[in-house]
Amino acid sequence: MTSGKALQDPHGFDPEIRQIEQEIVEFFAETDPEFSGRHPIIVTVMAYFYIRRNLTQRDLQNLTGFSAGTISKSVRQLVDINMVTKEVIPGTHEHIYKMEELPFMSARIFLRTIKLLEELEEELKKTKDTLDTHAEEMQNLNGYQRIYTITTQLLRIIPPSQMIVTLIEKELKFTKTSQ
Amino acid sequence: MKMEDSKPHNIEEKLRTIEKRLIDILKNFGYLKGRSSKISEIAAYLYVHQEVTQKILRKLTGYSLGTISTALRALEKRGHARRYRDPDTREYHYELNGTLLQITSRSVPDVQRYFSQMREFFGGIEAKISRPYIPEKRGYENIRQFLNEMNDIIPAYEHALQEIRTMTLNIKQEAR
Repeated sequence: MTSGKALQDPHGFDPEIRQIEQEIVEFFAETDPEFSGRHPIIVTVMAYFYIRRNLTQRDLQNLTGFSAGTISKSVRQLVDINMVTKEVIPGTHEHIYKMEELPFMSARIFLRTIKLLEELEEELKKTKDTLDTHAEEMQNLNGYQRIYTITTQLLRIIPPSQMIVTLIEKELKFTKTSQ
Repeated sequence: MKMEDSKPHNIEEKLRTIEKRLIDILKNFGYLKGRSSKISEIAAYLYVHQEVTQKILRKLTGYSLGTISTALRALEKRGHARRYRDPDTREYHYELNGTLLQITSRSVPDVQRYFSQMREFFGGIEAKISRPYIPEKRGYENIRQFLNEMNDIIPAYEHALQEIRTMTLNIKQEAR
């Protein structure tokens, strides 16, 4: 997805290193969307953060060749999902976006996911209670059975999801401590 | 339960509120995974309604037919949706390809395949940056740090995913 034209490198990377970096970015842009459903544009932006860690919107425009609007939308989403943080560059009105840790190993992202799943489980249990309590009045309404099924299926998905996040977190902690 | 809750229109309203909330939950999950909010919303409608047409989705979301068609094609490609043509109206209907539970449980082997693909790819990158003159070059440290972290992440994920797969297989065997 990266533009073919020779773009200015914001950090002065050597052309040979830049070539290797582009291979990495293209690998993610080609493979990640199929597996995660993310758009190649956001994957490209994420991949530059994996390597450079600190980037401005202007840096990202130079690296990717994407428009200012596209970059702005992508970094907004990355901030929204806690993948990067946003800070003002002192003495300017420009922002710098920082990826502290790769999202695959970010304790912050793992904790947020666990908390979110706990809250969701709580809410879905209450929803199921409401559907059970009003079953008699609701069961002939269009979609009741479908809504009930989705609620119970989501409730069944949550414990394995919590387990997956906890297992990966445990494995990563083990890797860090055994070094 | 309050008295007015029993009134038919309040009960209908309550059910529609729940339905809307389920769509919001699923949409939010898609967005948190880094998918676009439009695609996440269209996927959420398919998950909750279980069968949709492009026209229905247009009415529900207000998005263009182009956006809807792209999102549905992506969902089909990922095995979440399948389509069939209504012989009377000749309109395509998109239905959920299995239950939500089946769709999510299919993803573990996909993630495993993805990590194995990563392992192979980063092996090639390691070979490139191990050339003797490369560490002198500007930007090398960034690539090195990234690869070091991936070298920790990939085995950790592979191990965790294998454990999950074994557990899932055991649960399935016990259920038989």
